Amino acid sequence: MKKFEMEAYRNLVERSGGASSENLFTLLGKIQDTFGYVPREAVCDLAARTGFSEARIYGALVCYRDFIIRLEADG
Amino acid sequence: MKEKKILTQRVGRYEPLDFKAYEAGGGLAGLRRALDMGPESVIEQIKLSGLTGRGGAGFPTGLKWASTAGEKETPKYFICNADEGELGTFKDKVLLDGDPWAVLEGIIIGAYAIGAQLAYIYIKGGYEATVNLWEKLAAGAQKARLLGTNILGSKFSLQLQVVRGRGLYIAGEESALISSLEARRAMSRLKPPYPSQRGLFGKPTVVNNVETIANVPLILTKGTEEYRKLGTKADPGTRLFSLSGDIRQPGVYEVELGSGTLRELIDEFGKGTTGGRPIKAVQPGGGTSALLAGDSLDCCLTTGAIRKAGSSIGTAGVIVYEQGKSAVDIVKGLMDFYGLESCGRCAPCRIGVVRMKEIVERFSRGKGTIEDLEQLRQIGKACVVASTCGMGQAFPLPVLSALELFGEDFEAAIAKVSV
Repeated sequence: MKKFEMEAYRNLVERSGGASSENLFTLLGKIQDTFGYVPREAVCDLAARTGFSEARIYGALVCYRDFIIRLEADG
Repeated sequence: MKEKKILTQRVGRYEPLDFKAYEAGGGLAGLRRALDMGPESVIEQIKLSGLTGRGGAGFPTGLKWASTAGEKETPKYFICNADEGELGTFKDKVLLDGDPWAVLEGIIIGAYAIGAQLAYIYIKGGYEATVNLWEKLAAGAQKARLLGTNILGSKFSLQLQVVRGRGLYIAGEESALISSLEARRAMSRLKPPYPSQRGLFGKPTVVNNVETIANVPLILTKGTEEYRKLGTKADPGTRLFSLSGDIRQPGVYEVELGSGTLRELIDEFGKGTTGGRPIKAVQPGGGTSALLAGDSLDCCLTTGAIRKAGSSIGTAGVIVYEQGKSAVDIVKGLMDFYGLESCGRCAPCRIGVVRMKEIVERFSRGKGTIEDLEQLRQIGKACVVASTCGMGQAFPLPVLSALELFGEDFEAAIAKVSV
């Protein structure tokens, strides 16, 4: 598992052909598999990219058992 | 009763990623025929074959496809439901791992028939190796020109997205699966409108089970007449039974429906119970199907006969329970699972499943009451009639049937009041 870094995250999004409502679920999964959780920075960025609210993305994430979220920044 | 390896004939016979071996073994004949005959004829063939859904509900596949193909709205989507979450069901994994090209061929034919240019396969999160295999398979298919533009030199183009589920039982329900792909909470939706009218992103969508899809290339290769020689008139083709529970030899066995009784299936393939005791009860169609008592297993293995016996063939996940186990424990095992899996979309299931779990737990501690028995019946019946989706309508069935068949087990668990 990699430590979360914004650059690694951005590369992941680029490799997935950007973020859209069509691939958001898969992309969130890739973020989870790469970093071991879905960081807050990623959710903020994905919200900006897709036009969904952060609440909408969090609302979906917390529904699934295999997603782990952390609200505070990595320390 | 004999195994009839039709869908599983190639399983284990070739390296799963080796496309050439698949083609050499007779693969792709169905897809070639489909591309020759055109989408309308493909749907007509599937209708004539009498193929029904293998994911539990048993809806005629041809009708589903025709309804989606008839919608004017575009784009259309084709989804392969590989989120095999039902208790006691593990047949799809055999096909996904053992003969993945046949499933892929079926997906391509299905997408072609309904006019979809994007297909998804939603694989259960726990099947990690299967997800990895399918990601490689999709890349390999792109190279072999089975995916992408101008498939096999035709004008048809298709992309496939491999999606890994994230650990929710309810995501296997077709409308919840669609919500999940839209990056929403996996919650089932009110029908109508059906996914075939308004599905993924509001567009016409077909959602088919893996085993259903694996039948498609076979039907087109064999022709409907040959295909219908398998099974019975009402249940053409074969079924993959996942056999599990208190038996010596669990596994996946492919048989023709109508070729024997439920007891023969369990005795001949299961090789007897683990403790050597007689069978107490069986769930013939996965964890949400009603229990059948050990003395009513001599019904013929057809959809109709099992329904008449009081249960359903569902996902064909046969779970066997031997004597010596209390029905309260059987039901508790099931409710421990379903009690955590309601999506919360509709009140009967959201509340009912928790209340029923609590009452069953009370019985398992020997603290049940006479009122509890009636409560359990009433809540169960309310869930069956008032829930939105298949889960809420079905999870009470094993409990209700256990009360009916093994009421004495529950009565024995009623708390003794000292006078």
